[in-house]
Amino acid sequence: MKNNKAQFKIQQMAFMILAVFLFFILIGLGFLSFQTKSLQGNYQQLQMDQAISSLQVLTDMPELSCGYLCLDEDKLRVMSRKSEQYAQFWPVASIKVYKVYPAFDSLIKCPTANCNYFEIYDSNQQNTQEYSTYISLCKRVKEQDNIYDKCEIGKLVVGVKIKQTE
Amino acid sequence: MENKQNKRAQQEMIGFVLIVVIVTIAAVVFLVISLRNKPAEQQNVEVENMLTAMFTYTTECAISNDDYDDLEDLLKSCYDNKKCENNGKMACDYLEGLLKEIMPDLIKTESQINYYELQAFHRTLEGANSRNIIKTLVNENMKCSGKIMSAQKNIAVDSGSLIVRLSFCYGD
Repeated sequence: MKNNKAQFKIQQMAFMILAVFLFFILIGLGFLSFQTKSLQGNYQQLQMDQAISSLQVLTDMPELSCGYLCLDEDKLRVMSRKSEQYAQFWPVASIKVYKVYPAFDSLIKCPTANCNYFEIYDSNQQNTQEYSTYISLCKRVKEQDNIYDKCEIGKLVVGVKIKQTE
Repeated sequence: MENKQNKRAQQEMIGFVLIVVIVTIAAVVFLVISLRNKPAEQQNVEVENMLTAMFTYTTECAISNDDYDDLEDLLKSCYDNKKCENNGKMACDYLEGLLKEIMPDLIKTESQINYYELQAFHRTLEGANSRNIIKTLVNENMKCSGKIMSAQKNIAVDSGSLIVRLSFCYGD
């Protein structure tokens, strides 16, 4: 009778320890998944930052550039007319430039009057991911006798082909 | 004998309840601390590029001879308390109005941003913040619950530097 009772007590103790152990394992798992999630978020952010930094390579190209993070509107006008001739030249799937400020109501493709959107190149590829960054969009203007560079705020949007992982 | 057994069972129950209560309190304290922590501010390339593009924007304020200031020069003109000769407005008033116009248009192009804060202030050579150049711009009635991304630009002036800090909250 006494032996049985002791066995029961040991069993009870074992179950209790097991329950506490499982409880802490559950807490640990929750904490781990939380940490992994924030690590993944940081990884994605770093990748995004890297992609945006690589956009600066495009803004530095003499065919488009007028300085640091500056695109020459006159050059863009020319290049948007020659997208087929330069198809092999661009290291990306698509290049578009939008004016952001002053704001506009509808997209008007350049080169036309009061346009706000340049399509420099589009390979029409599927499976592309678009990255964008802010740039200044400058052009030389003449007002009465005054000639100066007028800069607006724009956005460079570049499509990059997504690499298929095997 | 039965009374003694009952007492022991009661003691065990109290012990178990105590453990559960302690663990629950610890979990609640941990949760409260982690929720109270303000989201950490991170330097971000995209925001930095936005600030750079904003700084080169050609404004319609000419301090002299139809020579239009870009936003960076306008900040300096505002700090020096100058006046736009072409439209008669004080540089600071014009700057504040312009920024209030620009910021919402920039935000419109970013679907993830639900809150912004733009500060511009002067810092002396000794490193003390002396005065605000413009009133801090925020989109009111919004609170940040996501990640804060920010960037800062310094403009050198003879008495120190003008610091422009832009922060965005990328909401979840």
